[in-house]
Amino acid sequence: MGVEDENNFKLRPMKCELNYLSKSDGSAILAQGETVVLVSVNGPLDIKSNSQSIEKATLEVLFCGKGGKPSVADRFKENVIKQTCETAILGCLYPRTGISLTIQELEDYGGLLTCTVNCACLALLNSGMAMRHMVAAISCAVNEVGNLVLEPSYEQVQSSRALLHFVFESREKNLVTGFTEGSFSEDTYEEALARCRLASELVFDFYRDIVRKYSNVI
Amino acid sequence: MAEVYKLIHPVKYFNDYINRNVRPDGRKFEDQRNIKLNVNAIKSTDASAVVKCGNTTVVCGIKLELAKPKAEEPDFGFLVTNVELLPLCSSKFRPGPPSDHAQVISNIVADIFANSKSVNLKDLCIVPDKLAWVVYCDMVCLDNDGSVVDACIMTLITSLKSLTLPKVNYDVETEEISVDTSIRTPLNINGLPVATSFAVYQQSPRSIVLIDPSAYEEEMCGGTGANLIICWNNGQFCGIQKFGGSNLSNEAEKKTLIIAKERSKLVEKVIETCLKNEIK
Repeated sequence: MGVEDENNFKLRPMKCELNYLSKSDGSAILAQGETVVLVSVNGPLDIKSNSQSIEKATLEVLFCGKGGKPSVADRFKENVIKQTCETAILGCLYPRTGISLTIQELEDYGGLLTCTVNCACLALLNSGMAMRHMVAAISCAVNEVGNLVLEPSYEQVQSSRALLHFVFESREKNLVTGFTEGSFSEDTYEEALARCRLASELVFDFYRDIVRKYSNVI
Repeated sequence: MAEVYKLIHPVKYFNDYINRNVRPDGRKFEDQRNIKLNVNAIKSTDASAVVKCGNTTVVCGIKLELAKPKAEEPDFGFLVTNVELLPLCSSKFRPGPPSDHAQVISNIVADIFANSKSVNLKDLCIVPDKLAWVVYCDMVCLDNDGSVVDACIMTLITSLKSLTLPKVNYDVETEEISVDTSIRTPLNINGLPVATSFAVYQQSPRSIVLIDPSAYEEEMCGGTGANLIICWNNGQFCGIQKFGGSNLSNEAEKKTLIIAKERSKLVEKVIETCLKNEIK
């Protein structure tokens, strides 16, 4: 893989619409390639006193899969999104309140979780929630020969040896969340991390374009 | 006095320790807690192990059963892992159905173990499409004082290493099953996955990495579930997970990878010594 290759990567085409739902405080629908996710944000709102925190807002994440029935795997996805968004939101500005994030999976052709994290970030931006930084998720597959494929398609995911997912923040491009499937060497990990970090810039640019389109002031 | 101080100024209390490059329990940043390991602690199981990392205690028991393989995967056996975090182990857990956190931990352990590919599920098949082993690995946390995933992976792999499968004869015509418990073969295990947890404490401008954090440290570093967990097996990583919490810089992240590799060597030695002593 040459240097040229590293700088000329393309992500799967992203299409987004904000304010997709009329009744929620913020919503976004995002398609990355053929994977489509819809996220709605409500809050800050009143919640039960036993789940209130006096220090920061409580984030509730509900993930609805396409199949309908909730499973342990869904809890895991909810946890990933909750932990990531909790870092991004300035929760200390909304103490004793709740913020609810509802996610509906519409199509899954690989990279569902990365698409969900990006869509959640867009929905949070749309709702006007105070945030510490934005987050961008990028996934990377290691194919049979050991080469890295950024934002793999469905077929590439099926045939890959390992899958690595990273979420970066917009300010210093530090790692917020990372999780992996399969096994891989240290060099692969370092390279994947570096390339995904570069690619996250494209996602942030995309956020900027989308927000500019919907905003009259900027 | 210190106890009162801890309650009144929790953040400052913790910060004061960190500023002096020491942790509240007296460890340095890169010191881990002592590991105590015991195999075959429960006689009624097919294999078992207890591990104690500092105060964190996890017991693993393995139960064997026979079943028919799934039609879509006729030559695969089953390995089912489950982690239970009962109210016994921490005041954070209430009686009733497993909490979200418990489900997530269970999922992480199962994921790490599946990704390490240490057990080939084909080895658990006896007769394709007819008979296969089901290995139930139940882990119960007795005391949760942080880094539960590390302890779970350690007990799980130790018990699997000490597991022996009895010989099974299957008559294809009469479909009769006879188990001969006198002839036992050990289960083939590939490598030895070792997980290491790190808590990341943001003290701007630097981020401090605490190895093998206790429950108190986990709470100060962004709550449970915000740990960075690195699993190393056979010269490869089989799981690097971090969910939110404090952000990790590039240099700190490189350091953690090196420490995780070093720690895995140590844990491997502990497990091997323990198993060797057991055989004697």
